[in-house]
Parts: sequence; structure tokens; C-alpha cells
Amino acid sequence: MATSTLPGTTRKSTHRGAQGAGGRLAAHAFLLVLTVAFLAPVAWALLSAFKPANLIISDPLVFDPRTVTLDNFRRMLADVPLGLGFLNTGVVLLVKGSLTLFFAPLAAYGFAKYDFRGKNLIFGAVLITLMLPTIVLIIPLLLQMKELGWVNTYQALILPGAIDAFAIFWMRQVIAAVPDELLAAARVDGCTEFGIFWRVVLPVIRPGLAGLAVLTVMNIYNDFVWPVVVASSDRMATLQVVLSTLAQNISGNRIGADYATVTGELLAATSVAILPLLVIFIALQRHFINGILSGSVKG
Amino acid sequence: MFVAPFVIMFLAFSVYPMLFTLRLSFTDWRGSGAATWVGLDNYAYLLGNDAFWASLGNSAVLWLLIIPVQLLLALVAAVLLDDAKTRLRGLYRVAFLVPFVTPLVAVAQVWVVVFDQNYGAVNAALGVLGLPDVGWLTTSTWARPTLALLFIWKTTGFIIVIVLSGLQAIDASVYEAAALDGASRRRRLRSITVPLIRRTLLFAVILQTLAVVQMFAEPFVVTQGGPYGATTTAGLYLYNHITRADLGTGAANSFLLVVLVMALSLVFVRLMRERD
Repeated sequence: MATSTLPGTTRKSTHRGAQGAGGRLAAHAFLLVLTVAFLAPVAWALLSAFKPANLIISDPLVFDPRTVTLDNFRRMLADVPLGLGFLNTGVVLLVKGSLTLFFAPLAAYGFAKYDFRGKNLIFGAVLITLMLPTIVLIIPLLLQMKELGWVNTYQALILPGAIDAFAIFWMRQVIAAVPDELLAAARVDGCTEFGIFWRVVLPVIRPGLAGLAVLTVMNIYNDFVWPVVVASSDRMATLQVVLSTLAQNISGNRIGADYATVTGELLAATSVAILPLLVIFIALQRHFINGILSGSVKG
Repeated sequence: MFVAPFVIMFLAFSVYPMLFTLRLSFTDWRGSGAATWVGLDNYAYLLGNDAFWASLGNSAVLWLLIIPVQLLLALVAAVLLDDAKTRLRGLYRVAFLVPFVTPLVAVAQVWVVVFDQNYGAVNAALGVLGLPDVGWLTTSTWARPTLALLFIWKTTGFIIVIVLSGLQAIDASVYEAAALDGASRRRRLRSITVPLIRRTLLFAVILQTLAVVQMFAEPFVVTQGGPYGATTTAGLYLYNHITRADLGTGAANSFLLVVLVMALSLVFVRLMRERD
């Protein structure tokens, strides 16, 4: 299957038959209900963040545009080191993301287009790590970081996850589809082996790469388990760690007026954390969906 | 040589830690000082420990609450999306993936607020309908379904896209032949679509089983494993060993989970094969 086509545009629908207008209406009703269910929690959080704190808990179902306020955001900015969280997440995103987007296709190129001793053994090991619960590696990785003196450093946040077995497995599938003749032609023209990768393979697999980029950004931005284990100090906390700390600070504090105030702050912080990725996703959603489609297992 | 950087990182951050965990699981190491070799004691301790079995039980309940609902939702939605010849289609697809791209920690917190017994929007809505309040996160009966709902909400969009990719790979002529033979719509779905995307569905089930066994951030943020341990999942239980510096036991726990996940994957593959 071509990796760059938009789902559904390649051929006519397969299930359609004698399907009446009633059936179509029921189908849309189902999809519409699902859409509302999927959007409601996010929409509720975003809207509630702009409500006066006491109304969030006294009238959780009502949104009155006349009462819109930025109080929650103001209080949140004063109390929560959100800027620091964004900074740390940004650094990790930039470095770890670049590493993944460079090394995964590079290794995948090696696996897809070259024969060398131990290739099947190594690739088998990649497949096994794909099956392993990642949590298995947490204890030894944490000890490794302690030994290296890397706990609460950027290195610890960046390096262990920079090589992603899934990314390699997926890129290998994408690169295997690049015709060998193209590589041979470049070789005849005197291109170096790395030059072939850089100037021939990478441009050809751009759609798959774009998908990988979006998925990688998403995974890094949302990552929680590893950061909370290895970078729990205030100074190194990523955005997600900052958020979870905020939630823990207030969970002992759930009564009356206090509850309303902290809930308002929490929803403001949550909204700010949700928005950047939501905007990126909506802007790049075609690449993203194609990316998942080109990487997943076919029936 | 293209693979070399990968191999080095892979050995350092995957293979070595894996072997290290295995060795650690036979010791009583607590994170500092000397480690004593204790043989299979950690494994024996876990297998004889009610809390360990309870954590597996909690994960099993969550699995049962999540997987069937999610697969059915994803299958129906993907088939309808594949059908729907409409401009709304792009809109649906984006909407379905919104939960998937939102940070788990953030939406987990929204769950805490929305399902709060006294002030939450869900109980407020029940109140409007004249129904009594429910302790969504404070009773063991409801805490697991509420967590399951969070998981289903968060990941179903992704499963829909995976199922969709399976559907797109089916050759349209198969359906045309069946339509000529007069097969009904439902019959075509059961006899053609589902068997042909069997492998995609299997992939989804294995992926989600892995995710449910490891489920950590949801109970960590929403319920802290409570009430009364009802949402202490296998993943959270393992994490608790780390925070208590009980690393030998934690490592043994890790490997028991690995064996469990591999065994489950094999069972799924075998079940699928027998249907051929």
C-alpha cells in the first residue's frame, strides 16, 4: 500500500450496498454522539477555566459568557511554575526529538537496505523490546542514571528514550518500500552511502517522516512515567510533572471555598497544557493520521 | 555502520537494563549498600502475597471493562467512517483523535474534577435527571469503571485509526462479489470484514493489553490506587516497590509481568490461528 495516500481517497467505499437513508442517518447519529463524547471533557475543561472559581463547582453544567474571567489563569501563574515546565519540556522536545528523527531512519535504513552479520538477531531484539512493558526497564535505568550522576539532569530525560524501537520498526517498513533501483542509480552517480541516505532516502520518505515527527512530539510532550521517576526535583520538572505535583498538592485540600479556588487553578493549568499540542495536531492532522495509517499492521 | 549508533544506545539503554533487572530480581537490594543473593525468594514472596494477586486482579477487571467496549466502539466507528462519503468525515476523524493527543496527566485531572462526588459535573447532570449522587472515585464499585472510562476515552480514537488502516487494505472486489451473491450488509460485515481484519484487531488487542497491564498514570493521578486498593493496577503496584526502594522485589515483579504479557500475547495469537 502506498504510504502517502489519504485514507479513503484511493478507492470507493467498500461496505456500501443497499443502504437506505435511514441507515445513513443512524450512522451519522452514532458518529455524532461519539464526537460529542470525545470532545466534551476537553471542551468542559477549557470553558470552565474561564469561569469564576465558585461557579465551577456550584454550576458545573452552565457556561455563561457574561461571567468570563481570567482570575484562574492569574492565580495559576502566580502559584505554578508552568514556565519552567514548558522550558524543560521544550529542551527535551527539541534535543530528544531531533535525535529520534535522525537516528531512527538511519538505523532503519541499515536494517532495510543492507545485509550484515547479526542483522536478524539485532532486529529480533528490537521486536522483543517492542513487546516488553517499558516499566520493566525503569528500575535499572534509574540505577544507571544514579551511577552516572544524571538524576535530575537533561541527559537523563533525553538519552534513554532517544532510541525508540517502535520508530525503527516503523521506519524500516517505510524505507523497505523505497525501490532499490533508486539507490543503485545514486551509487552509479558516485554518491556516498551516507549521501544516498541523506539526499535520496530521506526526501522520498518525507510523508512517513512527517508522521513520525508528529507522533514523536506527542509522545515526548505527554511523557510522564520516566520524567516523574528520574526528574522529580522542582528545577527539572517537565510540564507533566509540574501538573501532577499541582494535583497532589491540592488533593489534601478539597473542602469548600479552597476546593473551588484550587480547582480553578488546576483547570487553567490543564487548559494551558492541552492547548499547544491540540493546535499542532489540528494544523498537522492529515500528516498525523496518514502517519499512523502508514505505520500500523495491515490485516 | 548505519545501525551502529542505534546498537550502542540499544545495548546501553535496553539490553543492559533488561539483564540487570533479571539479576536484580534474585537479590534483596534496596538501592544502596550490598546486595545479597536470595535466589527465588522475591518470586516466592510475590506469588504468596495477596497484594500482588490483587494488583493483577485489578488489572484483569480493568481489561474486561475496557477491551470489549473499546474494540466494539472502534470497529463500528471505523466501518461507518470507511463508509461515510461525506465532508463530515474529516471532522469526525479529528474529533476522535483529540483525546489521544491531550496529555494524560491533564485529562486525568479533568476526570478528578468532573467525577467529584460533591461538586462534579457528572453528578450535577445526574441531579438534573433526578438521580442520586454516585461516589465515582470514592467507592471500590465505581472507581474501576470510572478509570476504565478514562482509558477508553483516551485511546479509542487511536484504535479507530488502526482498524481503519486494516479496512483500507481490503480489496473492494471482495465486497462486490459478495454483494452480487446477495449477502446482506450485516452478513458482509461478519463474514468478510471481521475475518479479513483479524490481524489488525489482534494487533490492537495485544497493544491495549500491554497498555492496561502497565497502566500507571491514570490511577496514580486520579485515585492514587484507592479506594482500599481497588485501583492499584499491576503497573502502580510495581511503581510502589520503587518508591519503597524495594528494588529486588520490584525487579521480580517486572519479570512476572513480562512473562504474563508474553503468555497473553501467545494465547491471543493461538486463538486467532485456530479460527483460520
